[in-house]
Amino acid sequence: MLIYRVSRVLNLAHGELMMLAAYLLITLTTLFGGHPLSALAGAVALSLLVGLVLYVVLMRRMTGELVIAAVLVTIALGILLRGVMVLGWTGRTYHPIEQLGWTNKAIALGGGMTISSVALASVGTAVLLYCALFGFFQFSRWGVRMRAVGENPLLASQRGIALHATYALAWALATFTGGLAGILIALDSGLDTTMAVVGLKAFPAALVGGLGSLRGAIAGSMIVAAAEVLAIHYIDPLVSDVVPFLVLIVMLLIRPWGLFGSEEEIERV
Amino acid sequence: MKKLLTGCLIGFALVAPGVAAAADAWVFGLTGDMTGRDSANSGAAADAIRIYFERVNAKGGIQGRKVEVLMRDNQSEPSRAATDAQVFVNNDDLQLIVSASLSSTYAPTIAEAKRKGVPILFSAGVCPTEVFPPTADPLLFCTSGYAAEKDVEFAVDYMRKMTNGAFKLGLLSMAIPISRGGMEHAAKYSAGKNIQIAGHESAPPPTVNYAPYATKLKDAGADWVLSWAPWITQVKTFEALRQQGWTGKFITYGHNVAEEELKRLKDPGLLVFTTNAMFSDNQPIHADIQAAAAGKTKYPHTYLNEGWIAATVIEAALKKVAWPPSRAKVAEAMNGLSVELGGLRGGAIVWSAQNHYRQDLYYRVYGWDSATNRVKTVADWVNKPVN
Repeated sequence: MLIYRVSRVLNLAHGELMMLAAYLLITLTTLFGGHPLSALAGAVALSLLVGLVLYVVLMRRMTGELVIAAVLVTIALGILLRGVMVLGWTGRTYHPIEQLGWTNKAIALGGGMTISSVALASVGTAVLLYCALFGFFQFSRWGVRMRAVGENPLLASQRGIALHATYALAWALATFTGGLAGILIALDSGLDTTMAVVGLKAFPAALVGGLGSLRGAIAGSMIVAAAEVLAIHYIDPLVSDVVPFLVLIVMLLIRPWGLFGSEEEIERV
Repeated sequence: MKKLLTGCLIGFALVAPGVAAAADAWVFGLTGDMTGRDSANSGAAADAIRIYFERVNAKGGIQGRKVEVLMRDNQSEPSRAATDAQVFVNNDDLQLIVSASLSSTYAPTIAEAKRKGVPILFSAGVCPTEVFPPTADPLLFCTSGYAAEKDVEFAVDYMRKMTNGAFKLGLLSMAIPISRGGMEHAAKYSAGKNIQIAGHESAPPPTVNYAPYATKLKDAGADWVLSWAPWITQVKTFEALRQQGWTGKFITYGHNVAEEELKRLKDPGLLVFTTNAMFSDNQPIHADIQAAAAGKTKYPHTYLNEGWIAATVIEAALKKVAWPPSRAKVAEAMNGLSVELGGLRGGAIVWSAQNHYRQDLYYRVYGWDSATNRVKTVADWVNKPVN
């Protein structure tokens, strides 16, 4: 969503980039041995660097090209990353939490409900990250520049904003946040090549909320997650993977630009 | 232009895998999932076969001739498997195809191989029905440990034996025909045994969150949960059940990753039944595999037993073939074969013209022993005749 908000490019390699950060954690855990926090910090930092490098090496060349061409490049990137990850780390399942020497204990919430400690940490991290991003876009110089570039790149450029630096920052931030999510998911439920599916599920949430809207991302996620949980409970767990896309189809039929998006934005997609 | 084309063709013939093969060697082609969604299982089997024959070659080969293994990665994609099979069957030096990937790749491989009379050995994936008695296909053979219906019958009998009185059984499958069918058979087989079926949950293949399935099984009050599915479905649901505070017992098929997983989870309530002996048995064959695999595979050596069994059977078959080999001679040798596996399974693999699976299945149950902090045998070999 960050990348779309700034450059109007839908990054379809999002799931693979999440996965890459988690695999980097596996490698760093082996390298850093008894220093789990260093491994964790290293993996998050590397995911930020990966975004930066991807923009400089690959996506920068797509500037000025049709948006659809850039989107196709991200699809190719996803396929490439998946292949590289299987070659590098094989298709086996990893459990980074055990490699870090931590445990994922269940926490009772009352009323028979439980949550794993990593899931709880994920919720906390999501809230913190959202607040940080909100603050960044509202109050920081670079955040305002990113919004300006997203609004009108030509005008922003004429006002002296460095477009490439702004796009690079958007890619770095997107891979950083995605990587963090990938790491948390891997810590909670292990890591294998199916993680890319999580990235795919993020699109209905973003599109339902309205692409490019931070508020929309939260609302969309809540709606999609609620629909999924209710379907599991009252219909059949088998339909849970289909429900996010059903919600998306319904939203596209009645309000194609999403809850908080604008008509102009969806036309560009 | 003509020269360029000729050069390209010569270059292709030299570098393309599976095309060039030594005429004075035993040659077989392996089409396996080395980088796809089943690579942890099939890729490990392929590695085991490669390592096994590297060792055979280092010791002088079979009947004084080297064994050449042509390996191609099909990523469990049927179209890739079909291409692999075409390349293999058109290689006149090749005598056998080994398939180590998901069952979705079998149909095109079988079609191509049967067209040219090439025998196929299936390893690591589920056995095709054509290998079962009494009418086994003369060209198809299987060494894999799985047999859905027999497996779940053993598990149901085991739970019945270990539990006093009535109990509630939750069933878990992956939403693929073989897994669902296995669990449906378990439900039927449990009838009249004082076992109440407390739901059957079936997770689709790319599931990320298994908590919903666990919630349903827990809410149904399952005392035991039985699963016959790919390992990821089994173990992630088990972990989700434990996260939700479920304290029952979970019995599941022990794929090649099971031993490492038992060590990781250290939960005495997780039991795996399997036809392969685990490395925790510390038999000489296990030390042998571990030594041979050191530094030669990315997978833990405990993943290699399925592939090692297939390679042992291939070696035994080739030893029976008089030089020069042919596809028909290899198929004939495999049609009457008895191979002792040195303790990797509970009994020998015995093939006849009617049966290309095995005459007897042997099951063991393994679990985690908290007292000794190691994987232990919970129930020793139990024989179930195939016929």
